[in-house]
Amino acid sequence: MDLHMASKLIYTATYEAENPIEVSLREAFHLLEPQLRPPFSLKVPTQPEYLNLNRAILFGILCELHFAKVHIKHLHGIVTDGYTFFTSLLTKVVNELYSKLVDSAKIQLIWITKELIHVAAVGFDALLVALLRQIVGGDFSEGNLWLCQELVSLFLFEWDCLLEEEPLVLASALYLFLRLLADHYRISGNSKIEALKLMEINLCVRVFREQFHLCLKIGRDLIRLLQDLVHIPEFRVIWKDLVLKPTEFRTNGFVDILQLYQKRTSSRYLLLRITPEMEKQLRFLLTHVKLGSQKRYQVWFMRKIFCVPERETLVIDIVRFLCCAHHPPNEIIQSDVIQRWAVIGWLLKSCKKNYVQANVKLALFYDWLFFDERVDNIMNIEPAILLMANSIPRYLDMTHTLLDFLFLLMDNYDVERKGLVIQCVSSAFGVLIRKGVIHSLDVLTHCDMLSPCLKESLGKLLPDLQLSVSKVLQPTHLLCHTVQPLDLGSPTGGESQTPL
Amino acid sequence: MISLKDIVPAAQNNINTQFILLDKGKISLDGQHKTCLALVADETAGVHFQLWGDECDAFEPGDIVRLVNGIFSYNRNNLVLRAGKRGKMEKVGEFTLVFVETPNMSEIRWVPDPNNPKIYVQEAVISPYSRIFPPMQ
Repeated sequence: MDLHMASKLIYTATYEAENPIEVSLREAFHLLEPQLRPPFSLKVPTQPEYLNLNRAILFGILCELHFAKVHIKHLHGIVTDGYTFFTSLLTKVVNELYSKLVDSAKIQLIWITKELIHVAAVGFDALLVALLRQIVGGDFSEGNLWLCQELVSLFLFEWDCLLEEEPLVLASALYLFLRLLADHYRISGNSKIEALKLMEINLCVRVFREQFHLCLKIGRDLIRLLQDLVHIPEFRVIWKDLVLKPTEFRTNGFVDILQLYQKRTSSRYLLLRITPEMEKQLRFLLTHVKLGSQKRYQVWFMRKIFCVPERETLVIDIVRFLCCAHHPPNEIIQSDVIQRWAVIGWLLKSCKKNYVQANVKLALFYDWLFFDERVDNIMNIEPAILLMANSIPRYLDMTHTLLDFLFLLMDNYDVERKGLVIQCVSSAFGVLIRKGVIHSLDVLTHCDMLSPCLKESLGKLLPDLQLSVSKVLQPTHLLCHTVQPLDLGSPTGGESQTPL
Repeated sequence: MISLKDIVPAAQNNINTQFILLDKGKISLDGQHKTCLALVADETAGVHFQLWGDECDAFEPGDIVRLVNGIFSYNRNNLVLRAGKRGKMEKVGEFTLVFVETPNMSEIRWVPDPNNPKIYVQEAVISPYSRIFPPMQ
């Protein structure tokens, strides 16, 4: 028997419980080991036997380097479901075990992924997305850069296959590598990254120039990412074309960059920059943890995710995820569970770098700029207004900085379309009030402690909604009555949110 | 599996439970062995946990732990939950467990039940929260 040849699948620390997925794969492998070498049985397996055989072969492929080709031939021979089960199992392994995989298993994983692409296995696009999600933002360790390198090479090399079978996965790759490039350009003096950057640019430009219709599917966040890269010559040209010569992209129907601004980005793209583990923790926090009880979870989250300063850039993606890809149901909104605005406030406060803070604020307000009630989702704009309103009076600097930034955006984000941006932001405010997310803008405009300049700008922005800024001096505690001041630190705080 | 609110001091290693590690104190030496006090909790209560030997470095705050055959008893004047000689701790996950820090089973004064001196019952609450690991503000 070749028991000794099979390596481990994952690293398990002492005191760590066995992982159920690993156990089921390993047990299937050892059970069926005699059947995994030629000559292969020609007997048609029952359904449970078929699934177990898939498990055994998968384990063999990842752990028996020298027999990988034998295993895959076996798989090709027995497959009856277009590789659906095998691919979904592999995707599960990536989502739940990738970080624990031994190095040789990771190498095998990339190899088998290519094989599955070549046979157009059902679900290989989900497998690719799972792999893309394992690239950790702001992480320049060898392992992470290796994965980056392998995946960008894979996308370049398998371009034709991917285009023919699952072209939309190229849009995911574009989103991901545009985002990574922004981080990679902040590192200098690392020769590995230089080569990587070139390949990433190569891939992204190719999607823009050859498959622009796929770019259109991404929507407005494509522009948000691109704008961080206009210092790179290849992207400066693309940006110029988008703004000045949209017809350069030779895509029917695309005549103005506005069409991209007006398309809300699907959560599938925003999920790309959050690992499954991060997603699990954030969703747990926003579903089960009461406001006031979140401190310990915050410490653990910070320690794990932000173990090095460069990782701060992840906050941008997390905030975008929270706004667009996590929409709590009404029961949660009305409960005492911590709300998205509170988590975003804490995350924003944790950022030390100026450019990260600016990008986080942009991420928070991004859906406001071209907000259209007909196609946009109020849940995407809700966290920003609640963060501004609920920071009064205890965290007034937060309200100030956010309002300041919003007005800055309105004036400068797209000077040519300033009128439209102002209209859309007004519309966003309007919808939030109409749907009861906040009772009125009084909380902002009648707040004694808010700068008069900001209050005036708000008043000008929304003349219909805000008929008069209070001219009579009133004691502070009466003015700021609309939303109860929140003590984010105490165990008792919190108010229930207005149902949507 | 028992909830932490239901554990009672006893000289038996029969505590099977699951909890999340909230905080770890400093590692010190007890003779040759490392030892470390920790705060753990589940949805029902918190308790002080005595880590021993390799356990001290193997577990971190945020870890979800399954304890089998643990013991909840007085150890050098501290009322602590621990694996003991016959128990076993295993990390089964991270983060995703809801917890409360009060009551703290170690911060309760236990006395023998007047009707059955072999069993302990709660007499008074010494402190609603751990005095060694107070809640974070």
